[in-house]
Amino acid sequence: MNLKSLLLAGGALLSGSAAWAGGYQVTLAGIKNNGMGGVGVGLSLDQAAMFYNPGALAMVKERGVQIGANLTLARNAFVAEGGSQQRQLRNSVTTPFSLYAGFGPSEGKFRAGIAVYTPFGSKLQYADGWEGRTSLTDIDLKSIFVQPTVSYAITDQLSVGAGLVVLAYGAVNLQRDVPLPDSYGHIELDGKADTKLGFNAGIFFKPSDKLSVGINYRSKIDAVVKDGDVTFSGIPASFSSRFQATKFSATLPLVATTSIGIGIMPNEKLTIGFDANLAQWSKYRVLRFDFDQQINGSTSSESKRFYQDALTFRLGGQYKLTEGLTVRAGGVYDETPVKDGYVTPETPDNDRLSGTLGASYAFGKFSVDLSGQFVSIKKRTETQADLLNNGTTDRIAGTYKTNIVIPGIGLNYAF
Amino acid sequence: MNTYLFRKVTPLVALLGLGLTACQPDIEDDFRADKGSADFSRYIAVGNSLTAGFSDGGLYLEGQQNSYPSILAQQFALAGGGEFNQPLFTEAQNNGSGYLRLTGFTATGTPITANVTTNLAVRSATPLLYTRYDGRVDNLGVPGIRLADIQTPGYGSALGNPYFERITPSATPTQTYFQRVKAEASTATFFSNWLGNNDVLGYATTGGVGGTITRTDTFTLKNTRIINSLTANGAKGIVATIPDVTNVPFFTTVRVADIRARFKAVNPALDVYIQTSGTGGVQVVRLATDADLLTLQSSAVIGTTTTGNPFPVGAGVSATQANPVPNQFVLDATEQGLVRTATTAFNTAITTKANEKGLAIFDANAFFTRVATSGIVTNGVNNTAAFIAGNLFSLDGVHPTPRGYAVVANEMIRAINAKYGAKVPTVNANDYRGVRFPQ
Repeated sequence: MNLKSLLLAGGALLSGSAAWAGGYQVTLAGIKNNGMGGVGVGLSLDQAAMFYNPGALAMVKERGVQIGANLTLARNAFVAEGGSQQRQLRNSVTTPFSLYAGFGPSEGKFRAGIAVYTPFGSKLQYADGWEGRTSLTDIDLKSIFVQPTVSYAITDQLSVGAGLVVLAYGAVNLQRDVPLPDSYGHIELDGKADTKLGFNAGIFFKPSDKLSVGINYRSKIDAVVKDGDVTFSGIPASFSSRFQATKFSATLPLVATTSIGIGIMPNEKLTIGFDANLAQWSKYRVLRFDFDQQINGSTSSESKRFYQDALTFRLGGQYKLTEGLTVRAGGVYDETPVKDGYVTPETPDNDRLSGTLGASYAFGKFSVDLSGQFVSIKKRTETQADLLNNGTTDRIAGTYKTNIVIPGIGLNYAF
Repeated sequence: MNTYLFRKVTPLVALLGLGLTACQPDIEDDFRADKGSADFSRYIAVGNSLTAGFSDGGLYLEGQQNSYPSILAQQFALAGGGEFNQPLFTEAQNNGSGYLRLTGFTATGTPITANVTTNLAVRSATPLLYTRYDGRVDNLGVPGIRLADIQTPGYGSALGNPYFERITPSATPTQTYFQRVKAEASTATFFSNWLGNNDVLGYATTGGVGGTITRTDTFTLKNTRIINSLTANGAKGIVATIPDVTNVPFFTTVRVADIRARFKAVNPALDVYIQTSGTGGVQVVRLATDADLLTLQSSAVIGTTTTGNPFPVGAGVSATQANPVPNQFVLDATEQGLVRTATTAFNTAITTKANEKGLAIFDANAFFTRVATSGIVTNGVNNTAAFIAGNLFSLDGVHPTPRGYAVVANEMIRAINAKYGAKVPTVNANDYRGVRFPQ
C-alpha cells in the first residue's frame, strides 16, 4: 500500500494502479479479500490479516503459507479538449503478487508472520504521439514491501498486532517527450527508492461469535529517490547544451491510512464485512524533481498535486456453500484524492466504483482462491480553463475514462 | 500433452481477450464532429498573406500546406466539409517565392538568417512573376493585398500583384479581386474573411515612411462590399479582426533599452539616437526613448559604421552629434498612435458588419494581445510572442509559423462552433512546428 501511495505521490500512478489506488492497494493484498470488495480490517480470514489488520492475526485459526497473484488489465480512453480522436493505451498489464507465512503455537496467544506484497507494479504506456506526450509517455513503477509481523491475543476477545513495514524495493521509470521548436526529444527518469521503514498496527475485538471490529493504522513513509538516472534521446545538437542533467532526486510521500472495519457473522456459513478507510493524501502537495545540471535553464521542476484526503467504503461477504466451496461478492466506492484541475496523465483519476466476485475451494490442508474485480473509474473531464485557473498547465485538458479488470489466484497451505 | 494444454489454454486466452475488449472504454461518441447550422460543403478563404500561409518572409509549399484555411478545411472535412484546393507550388518548385531560414546564432545570440534561393517558382524576374496555377482555387489568400486594393483593375495582371496574377484567369487579366471573390462566392456555402492587415501594416513596418494607412471610410466601404457579396447567397462564415502589429516580434525584438546598454558598455557617454518624422514632415533627430519601437530589420544596421561619421549607426552624444537610426527602422510613439487608431477603427468596421450579418468573429486583435501578455499553452507546451523562442512567429517577425497558424485555426474553430452550434474538432497545435532550426 505504501508503494501505491508512492506511485500516486510520485505522479507515477498509472491507471492500472488506480485499481489498487482508492484506499491504497488494499484490494489486492489478499485474494479472499479481493473477492469481498477488499474488506478485511474487521475480519480474521487468513494470513493476509498481516496486511489488513495485524491485530487480527492472533485470531486467525490456521497457521500457514499463502501466495497470491493478480493480473491488472487497465484500459483507458482519452480525448483531448476540443479534439475528436480517441487515444488508447499501448499497454497496461501488471502482475502484483503477495506472499504470507504465519507461525505460532497452535493454542497459544502469539502469532508471528512475514508478509511480502507489491502494492505497486504499475505500468502505463500512452499512445504514440498522443496530445499529452510532453507530460507523460510512459510510467513504470515497481515496489516490494516486506513486513515482519507479531500479534498477541490479550484476551479471547481482544488482540493487538503490529508489523514493521520495509520498503525493500522501489523503482520508478518516468518518460516524456521534450518539446523543441521543430521536433521532439525524449527524457527518461529512472531511479530506485531508498530502503525506508514504516509501521502497520491494529487492534481487533471480537465480542461475540457474530460480531467483530477492527481498527488499523498504516504510517506515512517518504519514498526517496536519490541519484536516479536522467537520459535524453533525440535532442538535436543545436539544443543539446540545454539538456545537461544526468541525475535526479525526488521525494514522494506515501501517506498514512486509517481504517476501521466491522465483521458480522449471522451464522456459521455467512460472513459480512464493512470497511472504511481514510487516506491522508493532503500531504501530497507538489511533485518536485531536482537535477544535478540544468534542463532547459532550470535545475528543478515542480508540479502541483494539491491532493485532498480521501475516503473509501467497502462492503463484501462470503458464504460457505459446501464443506469445500466458499463464494464471495463485494463492492467498493472509492473517493478520488485528485481535485478538479489537478488530474495528471500519471493518475487519470476520479471516484471509482468496483464490483468483485470470488470463490475458494479447499482440499484438506490445501485451498485455492480465485477473485475477479471490475473497477470503473468515472469519466473525468478537465478543461484548459481549470488548468489556467489553478496554474497547472503543465498537464493536458481533456476527458479520461478508465476501466480495470483484475483476475487473481491464490494458493494456501495450512500447517 | 501439448494438444491437451492447447485445448485447455486456448479458450482461456480467448476469454481473456474478450474480457479485455469489453473492458476498453469508448468515449469517442461523446466527441463526434458536427456541423451544427453551418454547411462546410464548399469553403472559400478570402484574405492576404496570412490566409495564403505566408511564413518566414515568403510563400512556399510547406507554409501553404499549413495555412489556417488548409487546417480549417481538414477539420471541416470531419463535419461534412468538401474538397479544398489551394494554389500550391509544385514539389519541384516547393520553395515558391523563396524565404528566410535560420542558419545559426552569433556569439551574442543574435539569430543569423539566409535566403533560400533554390527550387523557386519564379517564372519571370522582371516583372516578378510566379508559376501560374490554373486549377480551381478555394484559398484566395493573396500576399500583400490591402482591402483598398480589392476593386483595382489590373491588380491581377503582370504589372499587378504576382501572387494574384498567378491565379487570375489568363483570359481576364483585369479581373479585380472583388470580382473573383464574387464569382467564387456564388457557389460557396462557408467562407472566412481576414482582409485589412496590410491597410496598416505597410505603414508600420516601414516606420511610417513607406505605405499609407487606408482611410477609414474607404476601409469600411470595401469591407461592406466584400461581406455583402460573400453572404449574397446565404453562406455563413467567419471574419477576423486585425491584430495590433506593435505586439509582434517585428517590433518587440530589438529594444531601445538593450541597444542603449550595449552602447554604454562601450562608452558611458553614448546613447541611442533616432531619426523620425517631426511636425510638418520635417525629419528630426532625437534621443530614443523606450516607447520608440525599432523594427527587426534595424538589427542588421544598428552598430555598423558609416563613412564620414565617427559614431556607429544608432549611437551619439547629442542630437547634433549622432548617427541616428534611419526613420524607416523606427516606429515612434506618434506613429504607433496612428497605427492603433486605424486598427481600432478598422476593427469596428469589421465587427459591426459581421454582427449585422450574424457571422462568427475571431477577434485576432484581442487574441494576439493576450498572447503578447501571457503567451498561450497548447497541450502542456508553452508558446509566447517572443522571436524564435516563442514558437508562434516565423523568422520575418510578423507572420506565424505552422504552430502559430494552427493556434489561429483552433481559435477560429472555437468561434465557429460557438456561433453555429457546431462541433468541429480542433487540432493538436503541437503537431505543427515552430521555427525550424539548422540541422
